[in-house]
Order: sequence, then C-alpha cells, then structure tokens
Amino acid sequence: MRYFWLSVKAIFLKDIVVELRARQVIPTMIVLGMLIVWILRTASEAASISAVVIGPAALWIAFLFSGLLAQERSFAVEQQNDCMYGLLMAPVDVGTIYLAKLLVNLVMLCIFEIIIVPVVMISFGLDIHGRWAGLIGVLLLGNLGICGVGTLFSAMVQLARSFSALLSIIVLVILMPMMIPATLAMLMVFGAIPDELAGVGNMVFAGNFRSALGYMVAFDAVFVTVCWLLFGLVIKE
Amino acid sequence: MLLASTWMALMLGQIEPVQRNIIYAHIPSSICALLCFVVVLVASIGYLRTSKPQWDIVASAAAEVGTILATVLNLTGMIFSRAEWGVWWTPSPRLISAGLLWFLYVVYLILRSSIRGPRYLQARVCAVFGIIAFLDVPMVYISARFIPDVHRANFSFETGPQKLALFMGIGAIMILSAVFIWLKTDILRDQNKLERESAS
Amino acid sequence: MNIAADRNKADDLPKAIRIAGVCKTFGQRAVLNNLSFNMDAAEAVFLCGINGAGKSTLLRIVSGILSPDSGSVKIYGHDIHRNPDTAKSQLGIISHKSMVYPDLTVSENLLFFAALYGVPDRLRRVDELLEDVALSAYRYDRAAILSRGLLQRLSIARAMVHKPSILLADEPFTGLDTQACQYLVAVFDRFTNNGGTIIMTSHDLGLALRNCGRVMVLDKGRIIFDQAKAALDIAGFSQDYLSYARNNECGISG
Repeated sequence: MRYFWLSVKAIFLKDIVVELRARQVIPTMIVLGMLIVWILRTASEAASISAVVIGPAALWIAFLFSGLLAQERSFAVEQQNDCMYGLLMAPVDVGTIYLAKLLVNLVMLCIFEIIIVPVVMISFGLDIHGRWAGLIGVLLLGNLGICGVGTLFSAMVQLARSFSALLSIIVLVILMPMMIPATLAMLMVFGAIPDELAGVGNMVFAGNFRSALGYMVAFDAVFVTVCWLLFGLVIKE
Repeated sequence: MLLASTWMALMLGQIEPVQRNIIYAHIPSSICALLCFVVVLVASIGYLRTSKPQWDIVASAAAEVGTILATVLNLTGMIFSRAEWGVWWTPSPRLISAGLLWFLYVVYLILRSSIRGPRYLQARVCAVFGIIAFLDVPMVYISARFIPDVHRANFSFETGPQKLALFMGIGAIMILSAVFIWLKTDILRDQNKLERESAS
Repeated sequence: MNIAADRNKADDLPKAIRIAGVCKTFGQRAVLNNLSFNMDAAEAVFLCGINGAGKSTLLRIVSGILSPDSGSVKIYGHDIHRNPDTAKSQLGIISHKSMVYPDLTVSENLLFFAALYGVPDRLRRVDELLEDVALSAYRYDRAAILSRGLLQRLSIARAMVHKPSILLADEPFTGLDTQACQYLVAVFDRFTNNGGTIIMTSHDLGLALRNCGRVMVLDKGRIIFDQAKAALDIAGFSQDYLSYARNNECGISG
C-alpha cells in the first residue's frame, strides 16, 4: 500500500485524460439521457400525468442507464495493448485500482448530472424550492451506489468477455433496493410528495427524507465495502 | 411428509375463507427460498476460498431449486393478494422482497448459462454475484418499508392444528428442497465428469 | 549502473529468482507441474517450449498477477505473492503487446508508470528515459500514432522506468523488423551487462540464443531441459528443438 494516494491520483488522472481525448463516454451519456427525458416528457404530456412526479423518475432512469454506459467503458481502456497486465504488475494494491475507477465513474456521472438536471427541471417545469443541498445529497449518494456496484461488475468483463451484455441487468437488479428510497427522496426534494409519508401499516421508518438518505448511506457503505473487498477476485485470473 | 402436511392444513387447519390456505404454501416456500440463498452464499464463499469445483456445483444446484421456490413464492403471493384484496400485486414489503429474490435468482441462472469460457471463471463470476446478491435480500426488505403498505395480512395462525400444519409444511418443503439440491448436485457432478472425460 | 553486483557477493544471499514447487491448474488442466528452478543476478534464461507448455503462465506467476495453486516465487528473497510491493518493484516486463495507453502521449505514459512505481523526481526520470530510447522528439505525440518500432522503444522505456533488476520478456521480438530486433537485442545485452536478470520466452531461437546464457525447455508444465549455453552444441540443440516442435505442430523460426 505504498504511495496509495499517488497511485489513486495517477490512475484517476490517466482515465480522465483518456476520456477527455477520446470523447466517447460523456457525449453518449448525454444523448441517452436526453432521449429518455424526451420520451418521458412526451408521455407525461400526452397522458396529462403530473410532471412533478415523472420528472424525478426520469432523472433516476437517465442516471442509471447512462451511468451503466460510462462504467462499461471504464475497463475497456485497460484492454487496449494489454495495459491491464502492466497495471497489475505495478506495486499497487487492487483496492487502489477499484477506488480510482470508482472515482472516475463518479466524476463522469456527476458531469452528466450537472448537464441533465437543469434540462429535466426546465422541460418538466420542476421547482427545487431551494433544496439544493438535499438534491446534491441524494445525487451523490445515488451515484456512489451506482458506481460502487458498477465498478466491480464492469471489472468482470476482464474475466469473461461475454459478460458485458449482462452488465446492465446485473447492476440494475442489485441496485433495486436502493432505488426505492432514492426515488422517494428525489420526489420529496422536488415537492412531489410530502416529506413525511403517513406511516401506514408496515412502515418502519415512516418514510421521511432523512431516513431515506440514511438508508442510502447504509446501502452505499455496505456495498462499496463488499465490492472493494471482492474486487481483487475479479480483476486477476 | 408433504402429503401429510397438506392434509393437515386442509382438513384441520383451515383458515377462512378457503383461498387463504394458499398461505400454507407461501410461507414454507418463502423460508426455503431464503435458505437456498443462504446455501448459495455459503457455497459461493466456499468456492472463492478453496477453488474446489464441488462448492460451485452446490451453489448451482441450490440456485436452481431456489428459483423454483421463488417462483412458487411469487405465484402464491399473487394468488393470495388477489384473493384477499382483489389485486394481483401490491407494493408491500413482502411482495417486493419476494419479487427481488426471484429476480436475483433468475439473473444468477442467466449468468451461469451465458458466461462462455473456462468453467473456473464462470464459477468465480457466479460466486461473486452470489455474495453480493445475498446482501440485497435484507436490504430490500428494509427499503421496501419506505412505501406505505395499505394491504396488510391481518390474521395469524391461532389454533394448534394450524400451527402444526404450518410447521409440517415448512419441514416438508425444506426436506424436499434438500433432496432436490442433493439430486441436482449429483447430476451436475456426473455431467462434469462426462465433460472432462470427453475433453481429455 | 551495476544493479545487482553486490547482491551476489556471498553465496548465502538470496537468489534473484527462486521458484519452488509451483503448480497451477486451470479447471482440470494442469499447466504447471511442481516447477522449481533458481536464477542468479545477471543471468539471462531463454525459456522455450511449444504453445501450451506453460511459458506464459509461468511468467504471469513470476510477475505476480497470477497466483499459483502451490509453491512460491521469491524475488531477491521477497515472496511476490506475500510481499508484492517489494518484489514487484524489482520486476519489469516487455512483451509483444506494448502495454501503453494509445490515447496518452509518450511522456504522459511514462509519467503515469513512474507515478505507479513511486519513482522520485518523475519529470527528470522521464527525460532520461526518452534520451535513452531516442524518443525525445516524439514526447508530445500520442502513442497511437507511433510505428511498431517506436512503440517497442516506448515499451522498453516503460519497463525500465523504475530501474528494475529483473526483466520478463514475453515474446518480445514478435512483429518487429530486423532493425527493431537488433535494437532490442542491444538493450537486453546492456541490461545483463549491468547485472540485470532476464527471463525470455520467444519463438525466435536465433535471437533469443544471442542474448541468453542458459536454455530451459518447458514441456507440459515441467522442465525437460536446462543447460548453460556455453555447454550447449547450439546447432545440434536447434535442430533437435525444431524437430521436437514440428512433431508437436508448432511454428518456430530458427
């Protein structure tokens, strides 16, 4: 674990520079995101469904699918010229590689969100009511979950090429538990539903904003840790 | 034993109205589906630590049996929901958890059948997925409770025969699952042996 | 720059590479079978064998990216799977794949690897390397546009960025023209003259035998032949090896 932060920084910067030069991931993410938003906006207009409900949902759908797109690429860069071999031979811990790739995916997703969130807000006519901190919190926690799980599974493409077709369904299924409080939190941020959901029946946390975020923190903590620990098993043969 | 428990349930432990008796199939399959997942988890960890293919075979068998149980679980849950509240599905914690459990199992099986390449790589990928997927199960149970659950099962197993029938049902399905896993493990082991012999 | 002269002063100092009882099975196929051998500093070994003999697997185990089922690999006394950091910082690899990022420039690639290996004063080291391999004129060019020969030089610079004492050469001559091959041979010569150790695999017997002082033949995961070049009748060995390879249907050039 020598030079830990130096290695993380080096791998992180390398991936960012490669992506800025290749200019493949972010434009594709934006196109996909816009498409999703456009389809959902059209549907909600046509059926007169409340835009304030569909808008936040559209955001999550766009983030999930575009996030997956970014992650499929994150290890493709190492497959050129057998670069993965060179990377693994260096005296860096595999956890370093996981962390660096995770940060790269986070940054890509954040850049995408900075562009897409205003677009969605404008096209769906959403009002944030000054809750920027809440929005950023939900976004960051959601991103961490998406990228934490996605980074592990996209590394598996190293092991089995045929895996890349399955990456999307695997990550989406694993993320499903997090999407429930994430969607609720997003709806609360935009005022689509009240902050305190009336506790009916089985509700453990009575569904308020704080507990939704708390759940996401717990989810991220558990899954990022476990993915980090298992990473070494999927990156080497 | 399965026959005995079914008889017990239907004759002695009837819950009114009659549609509710599907719960006798629902609860045992729910418990056993979860148990199968625990088996998959243990086998996955076992494989990752020892790289012995036997663990992988057990995981594979348990996943197949678990898928069947999860399917039964979801179907009985839907039938119960329809009988009780008139809707096929409702976002209650139990049904959402059951749904996700089914999805996880199915994805596990898809993963297993579509990874091309050496068997040890397939085993490793599935083992890692098995561990992560298992973590999802308690997670979804908690997270599903964020949604207001308007439909709630409000009966309990009161009489003695009902409880006995329930426990017998659970026991019966557990034994049945164990037998199926054992049989499937045997089949897979023989299949592997055949493959090895034909390859060499 | 004499890398390891003082390391081998006494006999009881650790060997450059010590491989003991290494076994590796992929699924049901045993690729390496209880392999053991040692190498001293400044030794250059030519590891040959037909495809599937286990050469690449062995190199990957020695480089630490693949774990053996049993046995150990020690680099100057450090087990590469238990103390990977210390052991890995002694190793460099040159292969037929360049292992450089096509979208990064020449200097960016070298700076990246220098950072990974914790090389002090990275900018100066990269300048030094570019001088050594005569790539200074291309420092701001992306690796993707370099010719095969220049790419190989970049790969050499990448392998040497942290001044390793051991080089693993996995079919380094594949795809190179004569001039590039000569260049590489000279690089290997210089490396061993400075006390570096080399393990080389190649299908080109002539080139490999020029650099190496010891020849080992690997067959089905076992060493079936191990002799110093000085004690070898090269012509006889080449002939025997070529017919062995032909019998096992493998393309080898003399």
